[in-house]
Amino acid sequence: MSEEMKSQDSDNDSELEESDHMDDDDDYGGYYDNDTGDLDIDKPKKSDDPEYFEYELLEIEDVERFLNEEVEVLHSTLQIQPGLAKMLLLAHGWRKDYIIDRCKKEPDRLLIDSRLMPERKVTEQIFGNSAICSVCLLRRPQDYFYSLSCGHSFCGECWDEFCQVRIQQGVTTGIECMAKDCNILVPEDFLCSVMQKPELRDRYSQLSFSDHVKSHPDLRFCPGANCPIIVRAPVCKAKKVECSRCKTTFCFKCGIEYHAPTDCDVIKKWLTKCADDSETANYISAHTKDCPKCHVCIEKNGGCNHMQCSKCKYDFCWMCLGDWKTHGSEYYECSRYKENPNIANESVHAQAREALKKYLFYFERWENHAKSLQLEEQTLHKITSRIHEKVMNNTGTWIDWQYLLDAAHLLKKCRYTLQYTYPYAYYMEKSARKQLFEYQQAQLEAEVENLSWKVERAEITDRGDLENQMDIAEKRRQTLLKDFLEF
Amino acid sequence: MANIAEARIKREFKEVVKSEEVAKCHIKVELVNDTFTELRGEIAGPPDTPYEGGNFILEIKIPDTYPFNPPKVKFVTKIWHPNISSVTGAICLDILKDQWAAAMTLRTVLLSLQALLAAAEPDDPQDAVVAKQYKENPKIFQDTAKHWTHVYAGGPNRTPELDAKVAQLSGMGFDANKVRVALSSHSWDAERATEYLIS
Repeated sequence: MSEEMKSQDSDNDSELEESDHMDDDDDYGGYYDNDTGDLDIDKPKKSDDPEYFEYELLEIEDVERFLNEEVEVLHSTLQIQPGLAKMLLLAHGWRKDYIIDRCKKEPDRLLIDSRLMPERKVTEQIFGNSAICSVCLLRRPQDYFYSLSCGHSFCGECWDEFCQVRIQQGVTTGIECMAKDCNILVPEDFLCSVMQKPELRDRYSQLSFSDHVKSHPDLRFCPGANCPIIVRAPVCKAKKVECSRCKTTFCFKCGIEYHAPTDCDVIKKWLTKCADDSETANYISAHTKDCPKCHVCIEKNGGCNHMQCSKCKYDFCWMCLGDWKTHGSEYYECSRYKENPNIANESVHAQAREALKKYLFYFERWENHAKSLQLEEQTLHKITSRIHEKVMNNTGTWIDWQYLLDAAHLLKKCRYTLQYTYPYAYYMEKSARKQLFEYQQAQLEAEVENLSWKVERAEITDRGDLENQMDIAEKRRQTLLKDFLEF
Repeated sequence: MANIAEARIKREFKEVVKSEEVAKCHIKVELVNDTFTELRGEIAGPPDTPYEGGNFILEIKIPDTYPFNPPKVKFVTKIWHPNISSVTGAICLDILKDQWAAAMTLRTVLLSLQALLAAAEPDDPQDAVVAKQYKENPKIFQDTAKHWTHVYAGGPNRTPELDAKVAQLSGMGFDANKVRVALSSHSWDAERATEYLIS
C-alpha cells in the first residue's frame, strides 16, 4: 500500500515538473497565437478598416416584426390607427421623428402632403335612395357607395374590380382614387373592406411588404436570385455587404456589385458608359496580343499581367507590352494615363479623339482586371488540384499548402479593388490628389501583379515570401481605401 | 370580355350619342364589331387651327380591364402633329397612359384629343421631326399640317403651291405619299427631299 502511495507521489512530482514546462510552452503558444492574429489580415477591425460596416442579415419574419415595431411607436405616440401610421411612414421614408414633429405642428398639411387627405373635399350629394356610379354607369342603391377621404363616391363592385386590376398589375401601396386628377391613396383597411376575393389579399401583402422594405432607408433586399434575405444596417452607406445565404456581395447603398473606392453615382455613370461604348472598346481590346520581342501570338491564360513569352522567354507587361523589369521597381507607370498637355489648343476633332483615347485607356485596364479576376477563379481551381497532387507525392501535408489558398483569395480581393480604382481615376479632375491616387494605384497594381506571379508558381519553400507579399498587397489596398474611400 | 367593360361601353354609347358635341358633329363613335372590343371614333379638326375642316378617324381598342385601364387609341387618318406619329398614328397623351382615371369616358378621350389638336405639346413629342419643325419653323409647320388635312382628312385646299411640289416630284415616278413625307420632313426643299427619296 505504502509502496504504491510512494510511487504515486513521485508520479505526481514528475507531473508537476512537467506541467511547469507545459506552462512555458503555453506562453510561447500564446505568443504565436497573437502573432498569427496579426497575420490574419483578412479580419476586419473596426478602428482602422476603411471597409468596416455594421449590418445584420434578417429573414422576412424578422423584418415584419421590425416594421411593426416602427408602426407601433407612431401608433402609441400619436394615438393614430396603425394603418394610417404605416402609410405615413411609407410616404416619408420611415422618419418617425419628422412625422411626429410635423403631426404636432401642422397635422392637416402632413396628411395632405402624404396624399391621405384632399385639399378640398368634394360633396357629392346622393339625392333620394339611389345614384349612378360614374365608373360602371349603373344606378345603385345609396348604401352601395364607398368613398375615400376625398369624397369621390363609387359603387362597391367598381372599387372591388379596380383594386383587383391594380394588384394584378403589381400596384398596392400606390393605388389611387378612381376620380380624374385625384391622387388620394387607398388604405389597406379600405381595400380589404371592398375586396371580395381573399386570394388577392395575399398578393397584396407580399407586394406591399416589398414596397415597405424598399422605402425604408435601413433595409435592403439581397440582390441574389430568389434570395429571401433582407439586410439591415443602422446607417445607409456605400459599404460592402455579403449575404451568408447566397454569397452575393453588394453595395448596401445602391444594391449593385461592391465598387470601392468609386462611389455609387460614379460607378453607375461608368457602367452606363461602358455599356454604350463596349462595342468599340471590345473591338479594340482583343483577347490576344503579340509578344513585343519575337511577335509570336500570345493568349492570356492566367490573371497575372506579368507575362513571359513561352517562346523567347521575354518578360513583359500585358497592359503596355513594355519590359517587365521597368515595372518591378517602386514606380509602376503602367496604370497612369498621360494626358496630352497641348490638348486645349487642338481642334474639336482631336479633342474627341483624345477623349476616346482616355476612355479606352481606363476601360482597357478595367476590362483587363475584370478578365483577370475571372481567370483568378480558374487559378483557384488549379491551386486546389496542385495541392492535391503535391500532397499525393508527399511534398508537404494538406495543411502546409493552405497558405496558398489564402493567398489566392486575398489576390482576388485586391484585384477586385484594383479593378474599381479605374472608374474612380477616370472621373477624377487632374490635380495633385489625382497624382497621389494614381501613385497609390500603381503601387497596388505592382504588388497585385507580384502576388499573382508568385501565387501561380509557389512551392512549399516559398511560404514566407508569399505571406510577406500578401501582407504588402493588402496594406497597399487598405492604404488606398483609407485615403480615398469617402465617408 | 369582362362584364363591367362591355356593360360600360354600351352605356357610354348612349352618353356620346346624346351629347351636345355629337349634335354639332364634333365627335362621333361607332361600333366596328358586335363584341364592343373595337370601336371607330371620329373628331372634327378644331376651328382656327390647321386641322379645321378635316375629319379624323380614330381606331379605339377596349382592353378587358376597361375602365380601370385606358382604351388604346390611334389615328387612322394621317396627320401632321408633334404629339402624333406621322407614320403610325400613335398618340402621346397623358390621359391615355398614367393619367387615366376610371371615371373618364370615351367622350372625355375624344374631347381631349380635339383639345390636343388645338394645343400641341412640342416638349413631349411623339414625332421628333414634326416637333422640331413646329418649334423652329412655325410657318412651314402650319402649311404642312394644312396640306395633310386637305389630302388625308378631306379639309379645304389652302396650300395649292405645296400640291404642285408634290405633283412635280411624283411625276418623276415616286409614290405620292412618300414624296409628301420627304418634302414635309425637309421643309419642302425639293432637292433635299429628292436626295432622301433616292437614298
